[in-house]
Amino acid sequence: MKILAIMKKELQAFFFSPIAYIVFASFLAIVGYLFWVILVTSKIATLEPMLYNAAFILMLASPVLTMRLVSEEKKSKTIELLLTSPISPFQIIMGKFLACFILYIVLMILTLQYPLILSAYSKDFDVGPIYSGYLGLVLLGAAYISFGLFASTLTENQIIAAMVSFGGLILFWIFGWAKHAFENDFGELLGNLSLFDRYAEFLRGVIDSGNVIFFVVFTVTWLFLATRVLESDRWR
Amino acid sequence: MIEMHNITKYYDNFRALNEITLKVERGEILGLLGPNGAGKTTAMRILTCFLPASSGSATVAGYDVFEDSLEVRRRLGYLPETPPLYHEMTVRAYLNFIGEIRELPGKLREQRINYVSERLGLIENLGRVIGTLSKGYRQRVGLAQALLHNPEVLILDEPTVGLDPNQIIEIRSLIKDLAKDHTIILSTHILPEVSMTCGRVVIINEGEIVAVDSVANLEKNAKVSPSWKIVLKPAAGQQWRDAIDRCESAHISDIKELADAFEFRLELTRNDMFDDLFSSLTSGGAVFREISPARATLEDIFLKLTSSEERKEEA
Repeated sequence: MKILAIMKKELQAFFFSPIAYIVFASFLAIVGYLFWVILVTSKIATLEPMLYNAAFILMLASPVLTMRLVSEEKKSKTIELLLTSPISPFQIIMGKFLACFILYIVLMILTLQYPLILSAYSKDFDVGPIYSGYLGLVLLGAAYISFGLFASTLTENQIIAAMVSFGGLILFWIFGWAKHAFENDFGELLGNLSLFDRYAEFLRGVIDSGNVIFFVVFTVTWLFLATRVLESDRWR
Repeated sequence: MIEMHNITKYYDNFRALNEITLKVERGEILGLLGPNGAGKTTAMRILTCFLPASSGSATVAGYDVFEDSLEVRRRLGYLPETPPLYHEMTVRAYLNFIGEIRELPGKLREQRINYVSERLGLIENLGRVIGTLSKGYRQRVGLAQALLHNPEVLILDEPTVGLDPNQIIEIRSLIKDLAKDHTIILSTHILPEVSMTCGRVVIINEGEIVAVDSVANLEKNAKVSPSWKIVLKPAAGQQWRDAIDRCESAHISDIKELADAFEFRLELTRNDMFDDLFSSLTSGGAVFREISPARATLEDIFLKLTSSEERKEEA
């Protein structure tokens, strides 16, 4: 119940400020443009490039959505209200996560126009990778948001929160490159942590339970750490 | 209702509170008084479970602030130094949100929102966005937030800051009203506020309790001599001055020369000398324009207590 209260409050905040609209508009503009250019030049009815591009752009856009979640509460001292209310850090973090995640899902729904356009003009295109691709994108979104939320608990400065999540997410994105560079166990390990490598498998139409579990564990881990950081403010 | 036992708080190496021991009974209004940086806010933050103490223990309504923090937080309303407001929300949406996290069920929440906004003069502003409110109104919304769930214990950090004089009077009487079934701690650096609202005063300076007593007792025990503000039109020359100088227990200060009179502050270490002195002045031909008692204010007491503290340290 209190999780829902926090969630509702955060959703209100997103839509009262221009942030959500601006992120939505620029995301849809870029993805729409890329969808059109790629479709016209390649003449292949596939969503794979668009889903790939969407994932990369979302990696850059999601820190903008998550940076204010806790930082702003610290800056404006409203965190004092939350932490002196009968509400746990877990409930605060979960409410904030869900609000941002719902926003993300809405954004995903807005991109459904592209597969609809494809299906209207093409008779034989493979829907399998689209389903798995969207599943991948949703899981990836949860991962982005949880990491961004964690970064936001660290500081009262939104710019720092955004930079930490950009940096962290880009590192997790490119860890996979090491696999080819090292070709040893260490490279393998880094490759396993790569968000991109895992996501790419969804785009090929493969739903590997290992990949699903990875994203879930990744998300839960950062949410847990965010909760701990918030809790530690109380006993530091 | 509220107990602090040997609470000490360090911020890194800076000692903000030193062995504070304090007890507040149910239904009492306790005033925390002290200069900026004395540790008032820190003490309040410890009681509201926002900050841990470095050592010592504190309980609110019988629950330990560290061990049973959730139970403590259920029972208290807190107005921090900066009212914790979400500027993009309307007053109603904000209070509704507070009601939700304060565990008020739907119907009761609605009732309480109407009640507190009525008490605080917010009814007409329920639909306004908090960011567009003036400072005084924001302070009221902050107070509404602390009162909404009708908590047993209220902790108010400078509750009347930013309010206009009428509002201050209303808020003070509201606070007095609340004391019937609430226990209240409020901090302030406005001295008259303490004498008007609080049953007992704790004076804090540099993290230590300098005095705990009722306002009346403090005034009595501070041994600040009674004094008067006097405007006097003398008959001739320095005669009035001589009359005063002859009286050993009289002391004058702050002498101002007006057009045809003198204004000064008269202090008498012996109360019974009042009649003698005054009759000798009038018989000399002086005319009194004004005699008003300047009571020992908390300000005097405060200065006396905090400065004697310094003297002790020097010694």
